[in-house]
Amino acid sequence: MTEAAGSVADAAEPETFRRQVVRRTWARLGARIGLAWIAVVALCAVFAPFLANSHPLLMERDGVWSSPALSHLGWVDVSLLLAFFALLGAWLLSGRRWVMPLAFTLIGVGTLVSYQIISPPAAVVFEQYRVGLAAGSVETAVFAPVPFSPTDRSRDRPRSLTAPDREHLMGTDEDGADVLSRMIHACRIALGIGLVATGIALVIGIVYGGIMGFFAGWTEILMMRFLEIFESVPQLFLLLMVVAFFGRNIYLMMVVIGLTSWPGYARYLRAEFLKLRKQDFVQAAQACGLPVTSILFRHMLPNGVAPLLVAASFGIAAAILAEAVLSFLGLGVVDEPSWGGMLNQAVGPGGTFAPWLATYPGLAIFLTVFAYNLIGEALRDAIDPHLSRERS
Amino acid sequence: MASYIIRRLLLMLPTLFGISALVFAVMAMAPGGIGANLMSRSGDMRPEERQAMMAYYNERYGLDQPMPVQYLRWLNNISPLGFESLPGGGRGEFGLKVPDLGTSFVKNRPVLDLIGDALPVTLLLNLLTIPLVFAGSIIMGVYTARFRDGAIDVGIGTANLALWSIPAIWMGVLLIGFLASEQYLKWFPTSGLSTLGSGSWTFLPERTADGWRPGYLLDLLWHLVLPVFCLTYSGFAFLTKLTRSSVLENLQADYARTARAKGLSESAVLWQHVFRNSLLPLMTVAATILPGLLIGSVIVESIFSIDGMGRLVVEAVQMRDRETVLSITLITGLLTLASYLVVDICYALADPRVSYD
Amino acid sequence: MGKRFSARDLLLILFLGAILVSVWLAMVQIDRQWVFIRETQQKLDGQTRDIAEIRRQLRDGVAVAGRSAQDAAATDPGSGFYRAALAEARDDYARGDWLVNAFPSSPQRLTPTISTDTYASRVQEQVLDTLLTRDPESLEWLPLLAASWSVSEDGLSYRFRIRPGARFSDGEPLTAADVAFTYRFIMDERIATPRFRAYYGRIAEVTANGDEVVFRLDEPYYGALEIAGLLPIMAEHFYGRYLQSAEAAEEFNNATGLLFGSGPYKLADPVNWTPGQAVELIRNERYWGRVQPSFDRVIWKIISNDAANLTEFKNGDIDTYNARPLNYRNLLADEALMSRVRHFEYQDARGGYTFIAWNQRRDGKPTWFADRRVREAMTYLTDRQRVVDEVFLGYAETANGPFNPLGPQNNVALATRGYDPDRARALLAEAGFEDRDGDGVIESADGEPFRISLTYPSASDDYKRLVLLLKDLYVTAGVILEPEPTDWPLLLKAIDDKTFDAISLGWSSDFEVDLFQFFHSSQNGPGGDNFVSYDNPELDAVIEAARVQLDENARMALWRSAHEMIWQDQPYTFLLRASRLDFIDARIANVERVRAGLNRPGLWRMPTEWYVPVALQRH
Repeated sequence: MTEAAGSVADAAEPETFRRQVVRRTWARLGARIGLAWIAVVALCAVFAPFLANSHPLLMERDGVWSSPALSHLGWVDVSLLLAFFALLGAWLLSGRRWVMPLAFTLIGVGTLVSYQIISPPAAVVFEQYRVGLAAGSVETAVFAPVPFSPTDRSRDRPRSLTAPDREHLMGTDEDGADVLSRMIHACRIALGIGLVATGIALVIGIVYGGIMGFFAGWTEILMMRFLEIFESVPQLFLLLMVVAFFGRNIYLMMVVIGLTSWPGYARYLRAEFLKLRKQDFVQAAQACGLPVTSILFRHMLPNGVAPLLVAASFGIAAAILAEAVLSFLGLGVVDEPSWGGMLNQAVGPGGTFAPWLATYPGLAIFLTVFAYNLIGEALRDAIDPHLSRERS
Repeated sequence: MASYIIRRLLLMLPTLFGISALVFAVMAMAPGGIGANLMSRSGDMRPEERQAMMAYYNERYGLDQPMPVQYLRWLNNISPLGFESLPGGGRGEFGLKVPDLGTSFVKNRPVLDLIGDALPVTLLLNLLTIPLVFAGSIIMGVYTARFRDGAIDVGIGTANLALWSIPAIWMGVLLIGFLASEQYLKWFPTSGLSTLGSGSWTFLPERTADGWRPGYLLDLLWHLVLPVFCLTYSGFAFLTKLTRSSVLENLQADYARTARAKGLSESAVLWQHVFRNSLLPLMTVAATILPGLLIGSVIVESIFSIDGMGRLVVEAVQMRDRETVLSITLITGLLTLASYLVVDICYALADPRVSYD
Repeated sequence: MGKRFSARDLLLILFLGAILVSVWLAMVQIDRQWVFIRETQQKLDGQTRDIAEIRRQLRDGVAVAGRSAQDAAATDPGSGFYRAALAEARDDYARGDWLVNAFPSSPQRLTPTISTDTYASRVQEQVLDTLLTRDPESLEWLPLLAASWSVSEDGLSYRFRIRPGARFSDGEPLTAADVAFTYRFIMDERIATPRFRAYYGRIAEVTANGDEVVFRLDEPYYGALEIAGLLPIMAEHFYGRYLQSAEAAEEFNNATGLLFGSGPYKLADPVNWTPGQAVELIRNERYWGRVQPSFDRVIWKIISNDAANLTEFKNGDIDTYNARPLNYRNLLADEALMSRVRHFEYQDARGGYTFIAWNQRRDGKPTWFADRRVREAMTYLTDRQRVVDEVFLGYAETANGPFNPLGPQNNVALATRGYDPDRARALLAEAGFEDRDGDGVIESADGEPFRISLTYPSASDDYKRLVLLLKDLYVTAGVILEPEPTDWPLLLKAIDDKTFDAISLGWSSDFEVDLFQFFHSSQNGPGGDNFVSYDNPELDAVIEAARVQLDENARMALWRSAHEMIWQDQPYTFLLRASRLDFIDARIANVERVRAGLNRPGLWRMPTEWYVPVALQRH
């Protein structure tokens, strides 16, 4: 292959290559099942306040109709909804150049605005509607399919650790909160932690690995040592330490999981770059006198990034697991629904076992992790059948 | 080759410094410090006692000194070359000495003793697990390669991926809940590695006056079933895939074709020629499990209350037991780096085309 | 790597591995047996020596004479052995059998004075004796190692006469010199026991004079008798050598199992116990007391897993089980189990109480809680009965003050404030907190919403449930509570820096509680326990007066008025006192509830009253 042919082919290739990968991935049943499950989780995460909420969707009190569910939406709820509809619109209108930038601007601005202006009532008394209905002060109320908020501990009639029944389809936890509702709302933490943590890790990994792969010599040796430091301290140790010492905070957890899982990506990209560097099109670009950044990010990165996608897919699964393990070890966020945290309550003092607290949250973690792994597997096979031999 | 190994060994030193500095820094930055946990956790201490304890610990362990000084002191203790420390707290001659991992403030025992107690337990768990994982993976890998793209291949592949995706925390809770609880089946013990008092039993099963007694060995195995299962099931996916692709590659190699041409049956080709060559990549991978031997079972040990390295480390982190955490991270770091080196050497031995300059 | 590595070789390697592991396990097992044989040998040696000793005593007539002299003392209600002697006189009383308990985690060391955990002190209670004991019913002081004692007129010196015939478990006599030595040992700077030094530092000196020992103080203190009377006596001939040099002291400071004394039980090997091992105490065959202990052995297994602990108890392998509320309720329904165990719910004499402390000063400025009305409103909003019912399932008592309700310090005339949100709202409105913008949250006069964070120890599940319940209760009055689970070191830091709004904790308490450290205004500095900066000059005066008042009745009157002041001011919202929930194997006889809780062996070094009738003995 001559130099010219290589670069021409490369310029024309990306679009078709991407489409090819998408098609080949989609052709796999596993990937479709995985995507379907993640879509379900994502829908649960976005529409959680309309699926499980103690505030009625519609209510008539003293002859006045209102929607407490809407007025109790927080900025996270609103921006998730906004993001969902913006992406949905972008998908429907796909093909036009301006659609994606517009959608992302909309999401960004919308999130900022809603963070600034939306302030739902801070004093939330969940049981007021049930009490009101019974007493007759609320005439009609239309509830969400699951009429309990995740932190509604049914103080009007406390029932902690009850097995599933007609009122609580998946039973209650040790505080008396509805497990199904918590399951639905916990989708947010699971999805969020996977995406944000892996996003952080990817960014660091790409920059670090790219630099390492492009510059050889002392820079690389030094950077490699630094990378080895992070690789040699087990991730769980660092996570445990940071969470135990610096407090339980979901955002801190995302950042720390991200900060501890980048070495894999960096190593990957470095290996990929080392391979690419020797290839004709890069040497051609260098010979043409193109600036380093341009070679790095315009020419090498698009070619090296494919295997990273596979790793990222497995990485998301690992991040979800990491959060679940921390919550399981009792280091999770208090009062915030999390699958791992619920699993932690399944075996109580003296070995009392609440099967509903073990089965459902565990199943949710498993299915989500499995879905990401299936997608990763399909992506790997689609991008390059030979890749499946290498370490994941 | 020798110079390569020496260079790699020398390069490990800065990394080990880095590891200890990183962990030390995280612990040093921890708000609240590491001294507070040395005191009673029940809150029943009189104020003057609290002050006195704090002052005493600061003096005894030098916790009131600046962090870099404390770090250098620790480095000096663990290094085989440095100042001898005297019992009075003074500094002795510079020279070769016995490295000292220090004493756990929290437990007031030498860290080496703590590790000595916990390590055999973890090794036992992992040494039972690893052969199981390898044997299972090799068998499955060979069969999936033989019947490539058939129902067996797809089925085993998907099942392994599913098993890999099952979180150990879930599996552990389910096993304890359904197979080891009063409410359901009480088939297995819930925790620990032996029945209390089994130390005075005979090694093999015996008949005693009040019936049949399982003996020490059976009792231990009985306790090991659930934890080892929990450690095993998720390991198959990666190794099976590795075996499969390795066997596939070898099946298409020239020598396999020659063997077929000789008229050997397909299974004879597979088992007599291809099999042994396909195991090479597995051997190199085996080295990477070295650090896992030490801390691979953190979660399982927590679930089944087994007092091994994993529990030691989790407890040490929660109690801010600096010397223990530092020692264990250092050892695992060393093992990780060593395993990388071993892998690279294995590659070189297995594949003469790889050259080291 | 072999030339022809085949599947058969792999199997062979696996097989060899299995054999190696088995061999190793077998060797471990054989080692255990050697340890067992060595222990048995030691026991035999000890018994041979004892038999020789008894022969000698019989020949000399010492044993018989000593016995009758002690008999007279035991039947006297003023003797520490009174209750044990009553038990011994029962028809089915028998010696023998073992008492098997479990610790959830191993004591880190058993060495006296340097051990810090409660598990170690449970063991030491059986091995080390004290000068005095307490009657668990009347709570009166009774002589144990002391034959008699007296207090000087000015309350500055306490004189104890050591009982003749008292001896350590190796037969050496226990003398006044050993008592003085114990004090000297604790006060020695080289010994790592700052905790004990801070506590015993109130005593200025201890001198031995013949069979008398005198504790001298610089200023009178009501608790001095307790401090002196409950000093665990260490043997000079055993521990003395650790004071000889700095190295020896350091050896002591690092020792995990140096436990030796004069108590009813002893360690078979008083030197070499190491953490992680079960603690096995054997009968002290040379026990000096009138009533010999009933159990042959007292054992504590180490069972860290609660489920395993329960299984052991259900199998009858351990004799006592301390349950959590939910578990306790579930077990009561288990008829098979209930037919062979007994259950006890009681308030432990040293149980303590749980509270919420409202920080009155933060960053040098008074907080909202500096206003008494706000604190009282918070108390009205705290539905203590509901906390007891829902979090502790009824197995707790609500509390309204720092004193043990069983003791004479407690002012019974004070009523516990009930849950009254209307009253709370009115009080808050009076203090200037009202919902001004209609969002359901009350605001201060300058429009700041009433939002507080409640710090609590993150390790405890009970606290978490309690705080979540309070959060849901407070919100109905427009108060937003943010739970803040905090690691213990951070919690201590928050206390020292006073950087918290409210904190929920528990104090464990002695039978008579000294309020000085908690509520005296001088104790609000760093390290003090008045971390809420509570300042009431009247209360300060009462506390000061009570501390030097040696007359019991007058002092109790002062404490009761202090209780009332605290009840008025509500520096804390006192929550509850959790009950201890114990199951005890039914074969153990004479287990009963007493005023101090349960008559368990070892409470205030009380001689063992429990026993197992011959027909029921198991071990």
